[in-house]
Amino acid sequence: MKKIKFLLALLMLGMLTSINAQNPKEITQKATDISNPDAFEMTSTLTTYDSKGRERVRQTTSATKKFGETTKTILKFLSPADVKGTGILIFDYKNKDDDMWIYLPALRRTRRIISSEKSKSFMGSEFSNADMSRPNLDDFNYKLDRTTQYEGKTCWVIESTPKTDKIADENGYSKKIALIDKNSYEVYQVKYYDLDGELWKVMTVSDYQDLGNGKVMARKMEIKNVQNGRRSVLSIDKLQMGSSLTENNFTTAMLEK
Amino acid sequence: MQHKKKILSVIMVLLTGAFYGQGLFESSTTESNKPSTPVISFNGYGRGSFYGGSKSFDNQSVFAEFGFQGKLSLNHAFLFADLRARGGLQFDSLYTTLQLKETYVGYQSDHFDVYLGEKIITWGRTDGFNPTNNITPFNYFFLTADPDDQKLPNFLLQAKWHITPQMDIEVIGIPFYRPSIYRYDLFNMGQYTRFTTPSFPTATFDNMSMAAKMNFELPAIGFSVSYFRGYDPFFGFNLKSLTWNFIIPDIELTAETYLKNTAGFDFAVPAGSWIFRGEAGYNYTTNYKDNMYIPNPGLSYVAGVEHDFWGAHAILQYIGAYTFNFQELPEPQKPGPENGVTMRDYMTQLIMNELTQFNRRIFYQQEKFNHALSLSVNGSFAHDAVRAEVMGYYNITSDEWFVRPQVTWNITDRLQTTLGGFYSAGPDKSIYFYSSDVLNGAFVQLKVNF
Repeated sequence: MKKIKFLLALLMLGMLTSINAQNPKEITQKATDISNPDAFEMTSTLTTYDSKGRERVRQTTSATKKFGETTKTILKFLSPADVKGTGILIFDYKNKDDDMWIYLPALRRTRRIISSEKSKSFMGSEFSNADMSRPNLDDFNYKLDRTTQYEGKTCWVIESTPKTDKIADENGYSKKIALIDKNSYEVYQVKYYDLDGELWKVMTVSDYQDLGNGKVMARKMEIKNVQNGRRSVLSIDKLQMGSSLTENNFTTAMLEK
Repeated sequence: MQHKKKILSVIMVLLTGAFYGQGLFESSTTESNKPSTPVISFNGYGRGSFYGGSKSFDNQSVFAEFGFQGKLSLNHAFLFADLRARGGLQFDSLYTTLQLKETYVGYQSDHFDVYLGEKIITWGRTDGFNPTNNITPFNYFFLTADPDDQKLPNFLLQAKWHITPQMDIEVIGIPFYRPSIYRYDLFNMGQYTRFTTPSFPTATFDNMSMAAKMNFELPAIGFSVSYFRGYDPFFGFNLKSLTWNFIIPDIELTAETYLKNTAGFDFAVPAGSWIFRGEAGYNYTTNYKDNMYIPNPGLSYVAGVEHDFWGAHAILQYIGAYTFNFQELPEPQKPGPENGVTMRDYMTQLIMNELTQFNRRIFYQQEKFNHALSLSVNGSFAHDAVRAEVMGYYNITSDEWFVRPQVTWNITDRLQTTLGGFYSAGPDKSIYFYSSDVLNGAFVQLKVNF
């Protein structure tokens, strides 16, 4: 009996060790890294449904490529007609705020814009600007609570909270809880809690495509605002790994073409 | 022969690569994945627009319009056309017109772009007030909800050389002059004043306009230096004739433009959640002492700051101008036998002073130093379906001001309505004093995009 108790204790210890052996920040880092290939191009559709089911559709094409330590993205709107031709250029840096420019056909010129408004809605959808860019992992504290089963897969449950009120204000939420696959590091679900601590939005990520070299990309992301009933679906229509575009294509001049 | 064949085959391979090397991004923006096949893309809109309610006109600009933008692309070359068919009422006159908003052909590559045709070019990094933009003419009296409607094209040749991803050089040649449109004939400037046929430069090579710009877009700062030599689309007025019927004057004015050289500079610098912008132009003119329609040499400058406050986006700008060789207008000598000045001489001098002062107001050169402020605030609501914006302007030097509020509601992805108004005012004989009776009003627009 004593032996069995000892073995059980060892087993429990082993389980706990296996949870804590993984630093939650490292897990989040790896989950971020595997879904950020160095270069790709895609066309995607963003559909937003209001609480009555009425939809708004935005189609975009974009290219992303890493040059040195900077990841550059150029995105253009294909539809609807009133935003067609609008372009956004983003220089994503590891340790400082992004540089961003926007070309608006109505103004006929490119404008430098402020990138610090991470909590703002992305194109009028339930996604925020922060959801669309690589997060600065140092801005958050991480806690690995437990593991859970999600659609038959074992996932870590990782809670991340902004380190300061300012960061919370900038991002628009007080905490988020992510389900990350223990084997593949794919993120399946993220729950966002508003600044009052109430559940605000639930994002589900699916249709992962294996890109080789240990990289994956989700072809579908859906986010539902449980407080107002709106939901947005971002789906990748076409995906091309790698990009033949040169650095000359990730410029404000290219936005205007 | 064998050697030639090798070279040819290498060229063929290179060409094939150039034609078929298009990635998803490029093929999506040209809407083709077979770049050797011409591709036609088009979109457009229909709209009804009402702008009315001024003191002088009930219906300043009321029209229905069909707009069509088409692009034919083949590899790096393309043809673009923006055509607008419009009919309605403008300042009580019925009209129907087909406007070529833009029509040009072009060639674009990674390093070089060339365009030829009717094209609109907007220079400058500040908002609404651009001392470096001397190229674009405006129709200030085409009154709608969309400020872009006032921009007019020039026939021009434009070449851009993208030297590095951070730096490019642009050169523009405009073979003939196109003036801005401003309808002073609609102003109530007194019963003795008439406007006659404008006097604009003939279409000779000597009169063509040239412009060049070197632009830098770096992460820490974006800036450019530019140069313009040509006739300003924003012209002045000259006294063509002054005749007297006893003591009643008949004043005949004509629009007349002038040659100028402008050296320009602009920048935009992000600093955290703020953006600072600036723009300046040094304008060099000659013969201004003898011609009231030519402004003095001057320095125009704009400094702006941009920030988000409580979800609203605000742009505050200071607009200033320094007038070189500025001189106060001499007081006309009162008539009297002691100085030999007749009443007619006196009145002539008064009229000349008034006209010179009017030109100075147009050129924003009323004083040696001229100051103005503008504030623009906009915000989006209802998940970006509604956008509200208001712009205000106050000219500290002349005490003129305007305010323009506007709300745009995207009812669906294709249907959009805009409501707003424009109100301006100014002291006696100021530009806004004259223009307010014509330009003040409310507007509504309903637009369907396809």
